[in-house]
Amino acid sequence: MALKKLSKEKMGEVLGELSKFRLVAPAKSDEVVVFKQIGDPQEAFLDYGNSTVPPKKFAFPQTETLFRFMVGSPELKEKNVEEEGTTVIFGLRPCDARAMAIVDKLFSWDFDDPYYLKRRELTTLVGMACVEPPSVNCFCTSLQGSPFGTEGLDMLLTDMGDYYLVQSLTEKGEKLAETLSSQLEEAPAGDEKKAEEMARESEGRIRRSISTAGIPEKLPGLWENELWKRVSAACLGCGICTFLCPTCHCFDIQDEVDEGGEGRRCRMWDSCMFEEYTLHASGHNPRPTRRERTRNRINHKYSYYPNRFGVIACVGCGRCINLCPVNIDILDILDQVVDAQ
Amino acid sequence: MVDVNKLREKAKEVVSRDDVRLLIGYRPGTYGFRARPAFVQGPDEADELIFTPACVNNLATYITLEEKLPVPRGQEPDLRKVAVMVKGCDSRALVQQMEEKAYDRDRILVLGIPCTGVVDMAKVEAKFPGVLQRGEIALEGDRFVLSFNGSKEEVPREELVADKCLRCRYPTPLVYDELLDEAVERFADDDYSDIAELEKRAAAEKWAYWEEKFSRCIRCYSCRNVCPMCYCEDCVLDRLQPQWMRRSVDISENTAYHVSRAYHLAGRCIQCGECQRVCPVDIPLMELNRKFYKDVEELYDYEPGTSVENPPLLSTFKVDDREDFIL
Ligand code: SF4
Ligand code: SF4
Ligand code: SF4
Ligand code: SF4
Ligand code: SF4
Repeated sequence: MALKKLSKEKMGEVLGELSKFRLVAPAKSDEVVVFKQIGDPQEAFLDYGNSTVPPKKFAFPQTETLFRFMVGSPELKEKNVEEEGTTVIFGLRPCDARAMAIVDKLFSWDFDDPYYLKRRELTTLVGMACVEPPSVNCFCTSLQGSPFGTEGLDMLLTDMGDYYLVQSLTEKGEKLAETLSSQLEEAPAGDEKKAEEMARESEGRIRRSISTAGIPEKLPGLWENELWKRVSAACLGCGICTFLCPTCHCFDIQDEVDEGGEGRRCRMWDSCMFEEYTLHASGHNPRPTRRERTRNRINHKYSYYPNRFGVIACVGCGRCINLCPVNIDILDILDQVVDAQ
Repeated sequence: MVDVNKLREKAKEVVSRDDVRLLIGYRPGTYGFRARPAFVQGPDEADELIFTPACVNNLATYITLEEKLPVPRGQEPDLRKVAVMVKGCDSRALVQQMEEKAYDRDRILVLGIPCTGVVDMAKVEAKFPGVLQRGEIALEGDRFVLSFNGSKEEVPREELVADKCLRCRYPTPLVYDELLDEAVERFADDDYSDIAELEKRAAAEKWAYWEEKFSRCIRCYSCRNVCPMCYCEDCVLDRLQPQWMRRSVDISENTAYHVSRAYHLAGRCIQCGECQRVCPVDIPLMELNRKFYKDVEELYDYEPGTSVENPPLLSTFKVDDREDFIL
């Protein structure tokens, strides 16, 4: 597909043009970068490493109303995702886009999740290649990803200095390029090669890695291994590692009813690192301590998911390592899995 | 700073005792300058222990965080002591837990570490971005010396030290069975100037300020889990029947969470700063905690976590307690 060039001066215009859709882009709140719906193009903050909270919440909101009801009335007022309109998520990193492609498999597995899938259908993902890997703990290349990876993306922008190289990757991406045709120019000859070279250099700057070969097969046999106690001893059970993981997708469903009887059924992020996550109504908890919960987190990502869907549910974004308050490090855990007898 | 060999020797001696089942200390982290909690069960494991200005965690949390499974029929519960290494601020958590009778003093063995301040890891990582190889931080005089990748860098203490340490009144632990080094002098005091600034703002301005912060909260409850004073076995936040607080994330529920937590910590928070340190979205929780701390000090001349004999603030009443602020 044809490569285009977007000069940096035109970025404001481009974001303005995209504001006719629901435009989601990285923005700064104090020093924290989060993806948010942008009203004014000025709010977008594109000179960032990676966001603290992944953009997954725009496909899978942290709290989502499924329907509203009145206690005592059989009528339900259902959510219509279509009303949210066409969305463009602008400037996300390749690992986060790939994470969405991985999570799609779950939401279209035994049951087609209407909310999630509709939203995905309405969303175009415009990625920003990592010319520089954003954190010391990036390890996407260990998981079939890459700082210039395109999986899950509809369009990829590469920062070439004064301008971005624009690559449309899907039909949605082509359509978006048409919408922006007055801002885009022909890309200089030789840029494709240059971008390939940059991609190789960026990959070379990734410094943490793990060989995942054999891990999914090995994990079930380590069920009672003492390593789980060791690696989870310091765990606070806080759930940061799952809430901020772009591939974690567990949810709970709760009803919220006001005094007047007006209620809503909503689903909300949940975390397997929480004690009450597997608590049965009987009072029994099959994952009674953080040892079992940590074991589940790793098994879910590196064994159950690949067994079911053929892909490891981790993209190596490094957030769970960067942000764990007690330095529990998934690469350290996986190293111990590899070494375990 | 405490000598690491002495620390390890002491740890070996402690974990070899018949009445001790576990020692909680620190060991090197997996990358960069980080340190992490260590759980030492035998003398051979004691050699991994360290104490450096990178040992930021408040280990007092683990005393109450420990998960205990029901003891199988016919077996006795393990009632041996847990040994724990504490800095000045961490020791205050133990004192406050004991004031509240969270457990018996006899259950724990406290190794006190007179503290010369810990680093704020965010400041370290901003100054030395991308340090992957394990590095070390030591305090030499008034400078931190950082060794990594075969080189050494010196940085003035004020540039990297955690904010809480710049106002620390109790660097030497207030409770211990053994002090591992010479006591250190208090090197600062708290004039609450930052809080006084916030207090001056108009209500609408305060609200705008907190609305922005609270709207970032993802309600992971990390600030609760890490807090040594958040040790209720049954937390209102986890209750579903009845549900005291909704799990949905919006500005109203988020605010309710933060206001409730701040009130639960009034007269109890011992200023270890852990809640703010762990927050992944940088919510300045210490501003709330410090406001309450300041009020409690000014109104009742009370500082939590400073004397095991002190009764908890909220369970006492004096006839001359001030009440002119009550509406
Ligand atoms: S972020 Fe760290 S402490 Fe929190 S639940 Fe995950 S592993 Fe445990
Ligand atoms: S498990 Fe960790 S590294 Fe993997 S995708 Fe999740 S947050 Fe990123
Ligand atoms: S607050 Fe005081 S005791 Fe705590 S880490 Fe800082 S200097 Fe040490
Ligand atoms: S740690 Fe931060 S994000 Fe998590 S609940 Fe506390 S304030 Fe909210
Ligand atoms: S509220 Fe924060 S500063 Fe206070 S004791 Fe808890 S974790 Fe420490």
